[in-house]
Amino acid sequence: MSKNENTLKRHMGLKAANRISNFFVYLLLIIISVVWLIPFIFIVLQSFRVESTYQVGYVIPQQWGFDNYLKLWNSDFKVWYLNTFIIALASAVLITVIQLCMSYTLSRFRFKMRGPLMRFMLILGMFPGMLTMIILYRVLSDLGLTQANAVPGLILVGVASSGMGYYVSKGFFDTIPKSLDEAARVDGATRFQVLYKIILPLAKPIVIYTILTAFMGPWGDYVFARYVAFGTSSGYNVAVGMYSWLTNDQIARMYTTFCAGGVIVAIPVTILFLCLQKYYVEGVTGGAVKG
Amino acid sequence: MASVKLTDVKKIYDNKVVAVHDFNLEIKDKEFVVFVGPSGCGKSTTLRMIAGLEDISEGTVEIDGEVVNDLQPKDRGIAMVFQNYALYPHMSVYDNIAFSLRLQKMKEDVIYEKVTNAAQILGITEYLMRKPRALSGGQRQRVAIGRAMVRDSKVFLMDEPLSNLDAKLRNQMRAEIILLRQKLNTTFIYVTHDQTEAMTLGDRIVIMKDGYIKQVGTPAEVFEMPKNLFVAEFIGAPKMNIIKTNLLLEDGKYYVTPFGAKLPVEGEKGRMLSEKHAKPGEILLGVRPEHIHLAHPGETAIPCKLVVNEMMGSELHLHVDTNDGTRLIVRIPTLDLDSAERNALVSGHEMHISFEGKAMHFFDPTTEDNLLV
Repeated sequence: MSKNENTLKRHMGLKAANRISNFFVYLLLIIISVVWLIPFIFIVLQSFRVESTYQVGYVIPQQWGFDNYLKLWNSDFKVWYLNTFIIALASAVLITVIQLCMSYTLSRFRFKMRGPLMRFMLILGMFPGMLTMIILYRVLSDLGLTQANAVPGLILVGVASSGMGYYVSKGFFDTIPKSLDEAARVDGATRFQVLYKIILPLAKPIVIYTILTAFMGPWGDYVFARYVAFGTSSGYNVAVGMYSWLTNDQIARMYTTFCAGGVIVAIPVTILFLCLQKYYVEGVTGGAVKG
Repeated sequence: MASVKLTDVKKIYDNKVVAVHDFNLEIKDKEFVVFVGPSGCGKSTTLRMIAGLEDISEGTVEIDGEVVNDLQPKDRGIAMVFQNYALYPHMSVYDNIAFSLRLQKMKEDVIYEKVTNAAQILGITEYLMRKPRALSGGQRQRVAIGRAMVRDSKVFLMDEPLSNLDAKLRNQMRAEIILLRQKLNTTFIYVTHDQTEAMTLGDRIVIMKDGYIKQVGTPAEVFEMPKNLFVAEFIGAPKMNIIKTNLLLEDGKYYVTPFGAKLPVEGEKGRMLSEKHAKPGEILLGVRPEHIHLAHPGETAIPCKLVVNEMMGSELHLHVDTNDGTRLIVRIPTLDLDSAERNALVSGHEMHISFEGKAMHFFDPTTEDNLLV
C-alpha cells in the first residue's frame, strides 16, 4: 500500500469517527431539548382543554377551545397582568439607566473611595435580598406603598439598589478604549454625549442584556410581590394572583385557567428573547469573560 | 493658529508620583514642536495637559494668550490625533470626520463640503462610506488626521500618530505629515519616542527625560551641540560613542587621550575649549559613529579589534573593541571601501580608527553637561 493511500485511509477513518461522535452528541442534545420542552408543551395543551377544569391523568385534550382564555379575560388577571407589565417596564427603564450610568462612572472616572465603594457594593450584593424584606415592608408601609399601592412600591424596591449590579456592564465598558472617550471629548462632546453617542452604541449587547434582566426580575417576582401586596387583589402581580388559584378550594375550578395564564405570561418574554437572543448571549459572555 | 505657552507646568499623580517637573516652553504661532524622549519621560502627559485630558497640578497653560487650565478640551481650540487612531468603530469614515461638526450643529451641506474636502486632501474619498475596521492602518491614521483637520483648530496635537504603523508606511506618512503641515499652516505639537521622526518633522525639538526638559532646540542644534550626555546619546542612530578619557592642555593646545592615542582638539572645538577655559582632567568624550574613520597606525590612531560587522546596504556598522574592552560603533559608507577592504572586515580583524577634533563632544563626568554649552 502506498503512503498516499495510507494517509487517505487514516483521513477517512477520522472523518467516520467524527461523524459517529457528532451523532451521539446531537442525539443527547435532542433528548435534553425534548425533556426541557415537555412542561411547556404540557401547559400549552392543558390551556386549550375545555372538557374539565381540574387536573387529569392524560395530556392531549379531548375537547379543544379558548374557554380558559375567555375566563382569564373575565377575571382579575387583566389587572394583575397590567400591574406586572407596569412594574417590569418601569423597572427595566429605570434600572437600565441607573445601572449603565453607574457602570460608566465606575469604569471611566477616578475618584476617592472608588475602590472601597466597589468592593462594598460587591459584598453587600452577596447577601440575599430576602434579608431586607421585613425592613423594606416597614419602609413601604410607612410610605403608604403596600397592598393597593403595591405597584409603585415594587418599582421602588426593584430600582433602589439597581446601581449595585454594575459589575457586568462595567466589565464590558472597561474593554472599550478610553481614547474613544477622549477623542469624542476633544471633538466637542459632553460626558453625557460620549456615553450616549459613543459608548452605548458600542455596548449594545450589554445594554440589551441589562434591559432583559431588569425586565425579567420583576416579571417573574413572587416573594416580594406577595409580601408587599399582602392580600389585596388589586395590588397583585400575575405570579401572586395566579398562585391564589392553586389553593385547595380553587384548584379544581381554576387549574386549566392557570395554565392559560402561564401561556399568556410567557409570550412577551419569549418574544423578547427570540428577538434579542444574540445580544443576550454576547452580553452574558462578554461581561463574564472581560469583566 | 495660535501660540502655546507653558509656565512652570507640573503633573503630580494621586500616588504622589511627579510625571512632569516645572515645564517651561513657549511655542510660537505656526511652529512645529516635537516632544521626544523614552517611555515614561512625561511627553504624552504634557501633551494631554495641553489638550485638557489630564489635570494640570501646578502652573499654567496658555493658548493664544488665554489661560486654559480650567477649560474643557472642546473649548481649547485644539484638535488631536491619537496613537491608536481612536476612530469610532460604529460610524462610517464620513460620520467619524463629521462627528465634531455635527456636535457644533453645522448645516449638513457645510459638513459635506468640509468632509469631502478633507478626504480629498488625505486621499480617502473612496473610503468615506466604509467602517474603520475595513481600512488598513495607514488609511485609519488618515481618517484620524481628517477628523482633526475639519475642526479648523488653533493647535494640532499628535500623540505618537505613526507608532502603530509598519516601518515603510511610517516613512510615507511622515512625509505626508510634512506636506499636511504646509497645507494647514498651523501650530503643531507632536509627541514621539522616535528620534528620526523628531529630527525630520520638528522646527524645534523638546527632549525630555524623567519629567524634565533636557534640551530645547532645532534639530541641528540638538545634533551638533547636545547640552548633556542624555541628549547626545538619545539623538542619532546608532547612538554616540562615549569614551572615558583625559583632557590635556599642552602649550595652549588641548588633546584627548583615548585608549593610549593622543588626538589634538583642533579647529572650532579647540577654540571653544580655550574660550571656556576648560580645565584639563577626566572627561567623557563623545563621538558619533559616522564621524569615526578607519586609520593607519600612528599616534593619533586607536588600535581595536572588529567584533561584529553589520552590512546595512549603503553603510557598514562596525562594532569594535578597544584594548581595554570598551565597545565602540563605527559607521563607514560602503563606497569608501573597495571590495578587498570590505572582505577583510571580518570578526577578529585588527584595525585602527581615528576622529577629528570637530567631531568631538566633551562632557563633565559628574554633571554630564556639555563643557562647551
